Amino acid sequence: MGTVITITSGKGGVGKSTTTANIAVALADLGKKVVAVDFDIGLRNLDMILGLESRIVFDIIDVMDEKCKLHQAIINDKISKSLYFLPASQTKNKDVLETSKVEKLILSLKKDFDYILIDSPAGIESGFEYSIMLADEALIVSTPDVSAVRDADRVIGIIDAKSKKAQEGLEVKKTIIVNRIRQDMVDKGDMLGIDDVLSILALPLVGIIPDDEKVIISTNTGNPVARDENIVAGQAYRNIARRILGEEVEFVDIAIQKGWTSHLKSIFK
Amino acid sequence: MSLFNKMFDKEDSTAFVAKNRLMFILAQERGSNSFPFIEDLRKDIIEVIEKYIVVKDIKIITEKNHDINMLEVEITLGDNDKS
Repeated sequence: MGTVITITSGKGGVGKSTTTANIAVALADLGKKVVAVDFDIGLRNLDMILGLESRIVFDIIDVMDEKCKLHQAIINDKISKSLYFLPASQTKNKDVLETSKVEKLILSLKKDFDYILIDSPAGIESGFEYSIMLADEALIVSTPDVSAVRDADRVIGIIDAKSKKAQEGLEVKKTIIVNRIRQDMVDKGDMLGIDDVLSILALPLVGIIPDDEKVIISTNTGNPVARDENIVAGQAYRNIARRILGEEVEFVDIAIQKGWTSHLKSIFK
Repeated sequence: MSLFNKMFDKEDSTAFVAKNRLMFILAQERGSNSFPFIEDLRKDIIEVIEKYIVVKDIKIITEKNHDINMLEVEITLGDNDKS
């Protein structure tokens, strides 16, 4: 049976879909059979980040309403044979979701795939609740600013209450991804650092993604950075995938991009 | 802490302010999120205490950090004793 990982944040615009797409790519490149599921019903986005928007015929709601078979709605990636994508519905809204239908869908995905990555909608309403309901793990994405961290904290507090696994007395593994960090600003005391975010949220770190314009450039063309060997953010996503698989990978991700003050700091240490 | 940090990590940096503001607001919010029964509890406490003494007001303050949960109950008594 596959592992269900929900990528969530509370606040919108912190990079959930980009994170989902890139981790999906990286896990697939590590040989896992992965399906990325867009759960943001009515606000489809993951398709464009993966560059698969032109291939959509059926969507997740069509599957749940039995208007098509699961395999008809799932799209294979352009490049990776082991990466698949299940699009959100763009015309319906989240009110069409039902517990039994969501359960049935996720269960059949678990039979077919090693990893089911669910891109949760922003907010803490029903769409979010369904996206977390059957999660084995949750990746909480936050940017280092007060709004994102506050919302992340709120979401962390709700996850267990909405999760079946937690209700059965099992643990839903929760880890933090700090996205769009600017080490130069952290060094100057103008941005919350990794340590700050972690001490506030009190959960283990699984990834640090530096603020990198290449991430935006890659979404323009629908080619996730995780495939690009030369981009630091891409390396950061690949490292997250390896950590998800249980590997111990050092957090060297942003060291390369550290500002001059950090280098100075190391001299003083 | 390195010499550098002592020299440059100012307590008036905006990041420091952000962290403190967050810690403060989250301590409050975590409290109210995790004790949804506060109002019922208040009524029950009043009922029990009133058996013995007149209660003027009950204030319940909740605080939740990741490693410690606190429930602070402050009871202000009324003027005349009941016995």
